[in-house]
Amino acid sequence: MLSLWLRRLSTDRIERSRDSFLSLPPPGRDEALVVYGKRGNAELLVAVDEAAERLGLSTGLALAQARAMHPAVEAIAEDAEADAELLEKIADWCLRYTPLVAIDAPDGLLLDITSCAHLYGGEEALAADLAGRLERAGFAFSIAIAGTIGAAHAAAHCGEPDRYGCGEECELLAPLPLAALRLPADTVAALARVGLKRIGDIVDLPRSPLTARFGADLLRQLDRALGAEHEPLNPRLPVAPYVAEQRFAEPIAREEDVLAIIVRLAARLQFALERRGDGARRLELTLFRTDGDVRRIAAGTSRPLRDPSQIRALFVERLTALADELDPGFGFDMARLSVLVAEPAPPEQIGIGGGEDAADMDRLVDRLSARLDARRVRRLIAQDSHIPEIAAVSVPAQMTGTDPGWPVYRHYAAAAEPAPRPLRLLARPEPIEAVAEVPDGPPLRFRWRRALHEVIAAEGPERIEGAWWREHGGPARDYFRVEDKAGLRFWLFRAGLYRDLAPGASAPTWFLHGTFA
Amino acid sequence: MLKQLRQRLQALQKPAGIEDGAGVLPLGIAAIDEALGGGLARGALHEIAAASEAHLAAATGLALGLAALPRTNNTVIPGRPPKPEGRRRTNPESIIPAAEYGFRVRGLTPASRNDGENAERGEGIVWLAEDMALSESGAPYGPGLDAFGLAPERLLTVCAARPRDLLWAMEEALRCRVVGAVIGEWRHGVIDMVALRRLSLAAAESGALALLLRASPADDASPAATRWIVGAAPHDCLAAQLVRNRRGPVSSWILEWSDSDERFLLATHAQPVAAPALDRPHRKVA
Repeated sequence: MLSLWLRRLSTDRIERSRDSFLSLPPPGRDEALVVYGKRGNAELLVAVDEAAERLGLSTGLALAQARAMHPAVEAIAEDAEADAELLEKIADWCLRYTPLVAIDAPDGLLLDITSCAHLYGGEEALAADLAGRLERAGFAFSIAIAGTIGAAHAAAHCGEPDRYGCGEECELLAPLPLAALRLPADTVAALARVGLKRIGDIVDLPRSPLTARFGADLLRQLDRALGAEHEPLNPRLPVAPYVAEQRFAEPIAREEDVLAIIVRLAARLQFALERRGDGARRLELTLFRTDGDVRRIAAGTSRPLRDPSQIRALFVERLTALADELDPGFGFDMARLSVLVAEPAPPEQIGIGGGEDAADMDRLVDRLSARLDARRVRRLIAQDSHIPEIAAVSVPAQMTGTDPGWPVYRHYAAAAEPAPRPLRLLARPEPIEAVAEVPDGPPLRFRWRRALHEVIAAEGPERIEGAWWREHGGPARDYFRVEDKAGLRFWLFRAGLYRDLAPGASAPTWFLHGTFA
Repeated sequence: MLKQLRQRLQALQKPAGIEDGAGVLPLGIAAIDEALGGGLARGALHEIAAASEAHLAAATGLALGLAALPRTNNTVIPGRPPKPEGRRRTNPESIIPAAEYGFRVRGLTPASRNDGENAERGEGIVWLAEDMALSESGAPYGPGLDAFGLAPERLLTVCAARPRDLLWAMEEALRCRVVGAVIGEWRHGVIDMVALRRLSLAAAESGALALLLRASPADDASPAATRWIVGAAPHDCLAAQLVRNRRGPVSSWILEWSDSDERFLLATHAQPVAAPALDRPHRKVA
């Protein structure tokens, strides 16, 4: 487990933004910078840079006091959101080392580098690589590697940042202050009052009195740091079941190169997918730019996919769709293709029966979805409901199951012979002003979208009850199919029946729901 | 050698949109089929405009009716009892074989493969529109389509954010082997002539039916094989005006959709106004 602590995240962020033209670390500044924020009712310093620290300022000091001590100090209000955003970016960038990256708020990261370190030639080499890149980016940091999350965190924040093997936790932790165990401040203060200041002080104490006095949290944190209890890492991103990656000696920037890499990575994935009988339903391409920026491009498929050329075709559309957004800068130095969602795919049989037609259609759906967005390519499905707008809905075509429900609908329609249904249904019924001759009858004339329609023929009513089993199921509707003087045909309904009206209530309103050919 | 070159040149010079190779789809109405030279040309672009925006539903009806024109005689639609001629619906239990419920209907009903030339094109219909269009004038409604004789599982609806994307997606859909008809809904504005020509060529290449559904009539130049203006007419009829026809005369008809036959019929009984003057260049004035 690797713990990374960016101890001056806020001030580094501000200084980096000023030196954005130079990727060099800011030269030694003589003017000190502090960041302040409101804690309770007081404005306190929440971050200080190196120069300010040399002046004797520290976090937790009141802003007024700091200004009194050093009037020349530059003070900037904190921006927790920008800090969090920067931390997310750094976490993205750390994905190059391991897929298991967790945020250790507010200014740390945890990387599970188990069985990843050898790719960089060992843990030291990995840590050195990380340190080199962070230093070039102008961050103050400390890195510790230990067997458990708790120990790595404690070493990075309070101890001697270094590398500790499994089983060395006890020696590592003993001299550290209790605050290193990620305990609430009042627990630490209470422990200090009884003379317990270092972790070593409580390791050998009897457990039950400690629990009784300071709560179960204290010993749980201790056990977790010592490895007696397992602490799960909560990675930011779900871990992909299949991953293939490639590092480049020379950064690549051209789109053709990116596509060629996709084919190469997809070919590697194909082998793994075939062995387990899986196919990819959702793929993600992660491109790591040399300057630390990370691009993620996802593409969905409507059937489990293994063929590298088809995977390439998907990303061709995705790249075209965001041609201007894929800014390679100085080039990408690493690419990773992950299968985010895999589904069992039976071995493919080619050339017999109608399966090809469905496959052709799915390929069209995939291409359109990749270019336009999966939500824009839809199929109609039938649902088991009597309410018109729920009875048939459209869903993204890539998510449609194998049964769209229409055979069952047809069976029902053949038996029940429902009244005619419109060809086009409005997204939601639009209120209209209608005048009816008799309360329960069809309208004589109505106004929709500012045009007046005189009804010359009407069919109905077809009564469709609301979802009466629910509290807000809506009123019953009386649907009419009407034709106006020009021959236009509409599907109207009156929401609510006169018999249900409470005395004195206003008349039910009319809505237009669809149009007939 | 020279002969070959001449032949190639001839093939290249052939104007787009009126190729005979893809064949025609007869509407089953003698008068219209005759005017169209046997039926609606496949592998060509056809423009269907609503007389005004209010009549868009009527134009939609014609477009869907044309897109659903039968290509094969023995299409199996799972769950639907074969309708006997002239009768609406009979006792369904006696007709639906239980085995049909196991039918796999992902995306498309597999096209039957035993019908010679007609079987090479699939059954898929793709409906494309701009983002706002479907919410403004209504999205295709499954039960309505089904009653219209168009199985909703054949339909794929696609929205595009920009007109450029819409035209790209139309072309892409036309090139797909299993798509039989593509309906592009175009609300406003001029369409790039080059884009239209590309669509026309894509349709000619694949033999699919390309239908451009416009919310209002346009009179700009177009490579379309036919251009229709459609309005609603009283008594459940459509007034279809053929205003441009590359293969024959223009004319206008009152059509009525027949649920039981699942095709258009000529409605002679319901002329709402005096019939518009017909352009009949092929007939001598008496």
